[in-house]
Order: sequence, then structure tokens, then C-alpha cells
Amino acid sequence: MDIRAQTAVVFHLDKCIGCHTCSVACKNIWTDRKGAEYQWWNNVETKPGTGYPGKWEDQSIYNGGWVKDANGRIQLKGAGKKKGLLNIFHNPSMPTVEDYYEPFTYNYLNLIEAPPGNDQPTARPVSLITGEPMDVKMGPNWDDDLSGTPDYARNDPNLAALTPAERSAMFQLERMAFFYLPRICNHCLNPACVASCPSGAIYKRGEDGVVLINQKVCRAWRMCVTACPYKKSYYNWHTGKSEKCILCYPRMEAGYAPACMHSCVGRIRYIGVILYDADKIEAVASAEPKDLVARQLDLMMDPFDDKVIAAAKANGIADSTIKAAQNSPSFKFIKQWGMALPLHPEFRTLPMLWYVPPLLPVMASVTQTDGAQKDKLNPIAKTWTDNWLYDTSTEELWGTVEQARFPLKYLASLFAAGETGEVSLRLKKLMAVRIYRRWKTVGDIPEAKMTKALKETGLTQESAEAIFYLTALAKFNDRFVIPAAHREQAMEMLEFTGDVKGSTGFGFREKPERGM
Amino acid sequence: MTKHNLVHGRLLALAALTMACALSAPANAATGEENFAKICGACHSIGGGKLVGPDLAGVTTRRTEDWLLKFIKSPKAMIDAGDATAVALFKEFNLVMPDATQYNDAEIKDIVAYLATKSGVAAAATPPPPPKEASPAEIARGQNLFQGLERLKNGGPACNSCHHVKNDAVIGGGVLAKELTTVFSTMGTPGINAILGKPPFPVMAAAYAEHPLTDDESAALVGFLQDADKKHELQQPRDYGFRLVWSGAAALVPLMGLYSLIWRKRKVRPVNDKVFDRQVKGGDDVAQ
Repeated sequence: MDIRAQTAVVFHLDKCIGCHTCSVACKNIWTDRKGAEYQWWNNVETKPGTGYPGKWEDQSIYNGGWVKDANGRIQLKGAGKKKGLLNIFHNPSMPTVEDYYEPFTYNYLNLIEAPPGNDQPTARPVSLITGEPMDVKMGPNWDDDLSGTPDYARNDPNLAALTPAERSAMFQLERMAFFYLPRICNHCLNPACVASCPSGAIYKRGEDGVVLINQKVCRAWRMCVTACPYKKSYYNWHTGKSEKCILCYPRMEAGYAPACMHSCVGRIRYIGVILYDADKIEAVASAEPKDLVARQLDLMMDPFDDKVIAAAKANGIADSTIKAAQNSPSFKFIKQWGMALPLHPEFRTLPMLWYVPPLLPVMASVTQTDGAQKDKLNPIAKTWTDNWLYDTSTEELWGTVEQARFPLKYLASLFAAGETGEVSLRLKKLMAVRIYRRWKTVGDIPEAKMTKALKETGLTQESAEAIFYLTALAKFNDRFVIPAAHREQAMEMLEFTGDVKGSTGFGFREKPERGM
Repeated sequence: MTKHNLVHGRLLALAALTMACALSAPANAATGEENFAKICGACHSIGGGKLVGPDLAGVTTRRTEDWLLKFIKSPKAMIDAGDATAVALFKEFNLVMPDATQYNDAEIKDIVAYLATKSGVAAAATPPPPPKEASPAEIARGQNLFQGLERLKNGGPACNSCHHVKNDAVIGGGVLAKELTTVFSTMGTPGINAILGKPPFPVMAAAYAEHPLTDDESAALVGFLQDADKKHELQQPRDYGFRLVWSGAAALVPLMGLYSLIWRKRKVRPVNDKVFDRQVKGGDDVAQ
């Protein structure tokens, strides 16, 4: 048992309102620089949709992630010594600026500096790459809210898992739905970007598992850009180095949540430590597709288990980190309650960003009303002219899970390597908590039905209550459980702090001078 | 004689000597001899017979000093200007003497002065003995030395770094310096030996200054060059003419086929191409 600590993140998709505040917070802090304008370390996609960069999930285009070879061992799909050498002068799977978008700004100054004339001055779009005026053709969230469109929703790579009939049913106007998928770097346990880097510039931090690119070592091979199946490593054309999400480690080391999580309006984001067994990584990453989710859960160890704690201490994991792991919202959602799923586990990178699947857009049905409701209303009340009702209630216990507006196969393609059982179990759990709360607060659901719902999903009233609390009421410190970074210990490994004892503080970068 | 007179007399004598020296100084035959050995000796002898260039015994009686100075300074300029003697020399020796760009006028004058002191030496009556044939082992060694298969003992660069010889046995050499296929007919054993021993060309001199060739290496190289010269007419590389172009074009087709097979899964178009196309065309391919 080789116990290590990993910062794991949970996004609760039912709560995401698609406001892009996270993306803007991230952009303002990290990527508002020349060469980084097109980099969205955090982005929010509309699903069904093609995402950013376009069709990133389709590895027949980008050749990212891992695949199993004939011997059952995993290999990088598009990188490695042989493939790297073959493509040394031109990597054929590399995303181009057209796959992202040409970053642009507007010539705002023209609005106030234009000379007097007959026409109203305009702010023309200007390319941030060439500086020339341009026609804006694409943006980082061009598919926002455009479910059902031929350009985006119908090109979603996950639709490949569906039959044509299921696909067209999904986009019937009455059944049309969508949800948001915010994405950051997954800080995977088996990162393909790290494995693919010929310069050894990418590394996974031992203390918290954050994956970083050393900007001094990066040699612009850009193998990480193609190898990352989530396309979360970006090449900065100005500095000639690749960059990626750093999980705001300077903030985390100071005890703050990453900016995207801190600013999240819907409070969908949870961050905490999990303890995992690094000995099992290769075996889990090579598991059969249907077992991938279950085996990944096996990887995560119980932080209350004495053996695990002893092994963690033997590996130098601080007591504060173990305590944070016991308190971790991520551990609760992912392992304890089993409510979250990893995004595209079939890429075999063992992502450490898990998603609580969206219930509402999937479950809610649209039924025709008989006009009875309208009769009850005041005659002058404004009513919808159509006679359709958006309905989230259900007569049968799990009826709507089976008849979801999105076929479960679609969600399974996204979150469970095609294993629909994993998705329906989590949807049922979400639903059970709702049924429990409705029984408790509204009281129009019989207790027997509530008990049955909890029992069938393996929940108890206490756990349902805890899930409800962490979902709906959780405060800052419940959602973000960040252990002390212990930078002082790291520093003591590099230098003897006693050397500066007796001098003022810990020394000066510039010595103060006497006088004015 | 008083002491004063004695000093006075010595001073006068010194002054006279100085005057004499000053008058005769413009050309110092001693320096000239040194330079001759260093610069000219590789190709010219005085009374030793024809080497690469003519025997210079009595040259100052044949030509005027002015002509000699001009010719040494830049033989090429003289030939280009159509000087009859220079052109005749060029025709006889089929070789242009290198310009003396790195030597100043005074140094050239010294050399001419030295030549003048030797004006009495008679030109060699008999031509030098015919070159002796090298043994096959020597030729093979020369061949290896030439293309660097055998390292030169003192670490000098192999000949084919700069020189080319048309010979099927060796790979093509550089084009930085003169092609040496027929150098043997032009220069003969003594000429080549002299150049290898004391290269008169600045680049070659610099390259071999610290890494001189040994005598047996020079002999082997001369043997090889002689052999190459003798055989060079039999060693015509084949001329493929346009067939080369056509075969290249024909080979390109399967090569491109192979490439498209290897990289058949490459990303040819950006994934958003259809979206862009539709924006430009205005929605032609969208089912309404």
C-alpha cells in the first residue's frame, strides 16, 4: 500500500447555471496575457454540444489519452517514443487555432478617437494574434445554450453511442434539454500529458497531486497538447511554452480555494483531499471499460481506516492532510455516497475531477395539460398560450430515470465509459434525496415510498440529510477543505533555516540602508 | 689623432654606413630569400628545373623588375589585361599563379631582389626525371587518406573535405577548393609534394599549419592522384539526363501514397470547418 494524497474536485452539475463566472475569474487571474488569450483553463460547455476545442472528446481526431495494447497494457494513444519520432516534425493530431478560435478584441478606442465624419464610429473586431481587423468566426463558448443546433449539439461526439432514432428523439422540440459541463484540468492520477512530455517538463506534485508544467524545462514539443484527452494543456505561441490549469496552487497554499471555485455563483464546486493507493494505478487504468468507474473508486482509500492512516503517515503525509481527507467533501460525494462520476473514464487517465450528474434536465418531463389549471386562475392572470407543462414530479418511483429525456446511454458515454448502470444508480440516489426531502418538508409523499427509495439506493435518512446539507446548505468551509500546505517543511528540505537565525527575520532580498 | 678626432671619424663612418644601408635598403635580398622559400618554393625552383611554375633562374634578366612586381602582385590581372608574356605563360603552364594579396609591396620587392642575386644561376639543362609509378598498396592508402577512411597521422583534415576527385573508387568530395582529378598532369610529383609540404594557399596553410602531413602520406596521396589522373577518362560518371527527373517524379507518386497511408488518420481540416463554411455560404446545407 503506497498511500498518497490527492486534491480531488467535485462539480455538482445540477447546480450549474452556466454563468461562466468561473471562466472569467480564471481568465482574469491567469490567462489574460499575450499568447494565452485563447487558453481557457476553465471553460463551461453546453451539453449536448461540441465543447472547446471543437469535438475534444473525439479521440479519433486528437489521439489523446491511453489505449490498451494487445497485451492488455495501456499505452499512450498518440504519443510515446515511436509515435513521437514518426511525427517529430509535424504532429498530425495537433489542434490548430481554427479548432480553438482566433482570439479577438474590439478597437474600442475608435469610438472616442475617430475623426468627425458622417458615419457613426464603430469598434471593429481586431485579432489578438495578428493585430489586423478580422471577422469573428468562433469563440470559446460559441455553442452556449445551443442544444439541438446542427452545428454543435448534433455534432456532439457522445451521440455516437446512440441510435439515430434516439438521437432524433433527443432533439425533438418538446423533449429538448441541455445542461452545462464546466471543465478544468482533471489533475489525473495517470496523466497522459506527463507521460507524453519528451522533455520531462510536466510533473505531478507529490504533496497534493497538482499537475504542473515547468516553464523552464518545457521545450515546446506540444506532445501534452495532443496527449491530454481533455485538451486542457494549451500552447502559448508567444512564450513558446505549454501552459495548463495550476489549480491555483498559490491560492491553495495560502488556504484559499481556487479562483474558479471561490467565485462559483451556483456553489457547484467542492474541493478536498482524498487518500489513494498509488500501487493500484496501473491495474485500475488497465481495467475493462465497464469496471473503470468501480475500480477507480477502489483506488480511493478510507481515511478513517487505521491501516490507511498508518501507511499515509509512513509516506510522510501530514496529520493535517489526513484530517482534511476525513473531512473532505470530495471523498463524501465520490466514495462515501457514491454520487459522482469521472468525465470520460475510458480515456484511462484516472481524472480527479468528478461530476455529480445532472438530474433536472434529464428527468423533468413535459406533459400536455387539460387546461384545468387555467380555470383555477384569476381570469386576468397571464397564462402561457400553449398547453404544455414542465413537470418534475413522478408517479412511479424510478419511471423517469428509465424514460429520461436524455437516453441514459448519452450520460453513460460522458461519465461512465458506456456503463448505464453507474449513471442510473447516481440519478436514483439524487432522486431519493429529493423524495426524502419532499417527504420531510412537504409531506405529500408516503413514508413507505420514501423508505423504499432510500433503501433501493443504499442511503439512510442520515446520509440523505448529509447529502442535502452538502448540496444545498454547505458553507465555504464545508465546500472547500484545504489542508495546510506545509511550505515550511518543504523549505526546510532545501535549506537550513537556522542559517538566518539571528539576522532580521528571514533575511532581505535587498538590504535596507540607513538614512533617507 | 686626438680623442676628439677619433670619435668624430667614427661618427662619420657610422653616418656613411647608415647612408649606404639606407640607399640599398628598399630591397633586402636576405628577407627575400626567406620569403621565397616560404611562399614561392612550393612551385618554383631556381636552377632546379620546372616544377609547377617555371624555373626562375635568371628571370630578372629576362623580364624587367617592373613587370615582375606587377605580375607577382596579380597574375590574373595581367592575363586579363592581355599582357602577351603573361598570356603565353598561362598557355604554357595552364594554371594561374595565385594573387599575392596577403603580401605587401616591400615583401615582393625583397623577393625580386633575391631573384636578382641569383640571376647568374643557369636554368637546369635536363628536365626533371619522369614521375615514378606508385605501388598499388600506396595508391590504396592514398585513396583511404584522401577520403578520410584512414586518419592523417598528425590529425589534419581529410582532402575530400574541400577537394573533389572524379574517381569511382572514392565518394564525392567538397567543392570548397579546386577539383584535383588532373592535378597530377599540371603539377607533377614535385609540385604536389611541395604544396602538401608547405601549402601556399591561405586556407590550406592554416588548416595544416599545426597538422603537417608526413612524407609517406604525401607520397601515398601523390600516388593516388597520379592514378586518378591516369584513369580519369575511364571514370565518367553516368549522365542520366532527364531520366533522373522522370524517375524522381515517378518515385514521388508511391512515396506520397505511402505517406498518405501512414498518416491517413491525420487531422486534415479543422473540426469547425463546416461551421465556418456555412457562415460564409449562409446556411445552404442546413435542413430548414
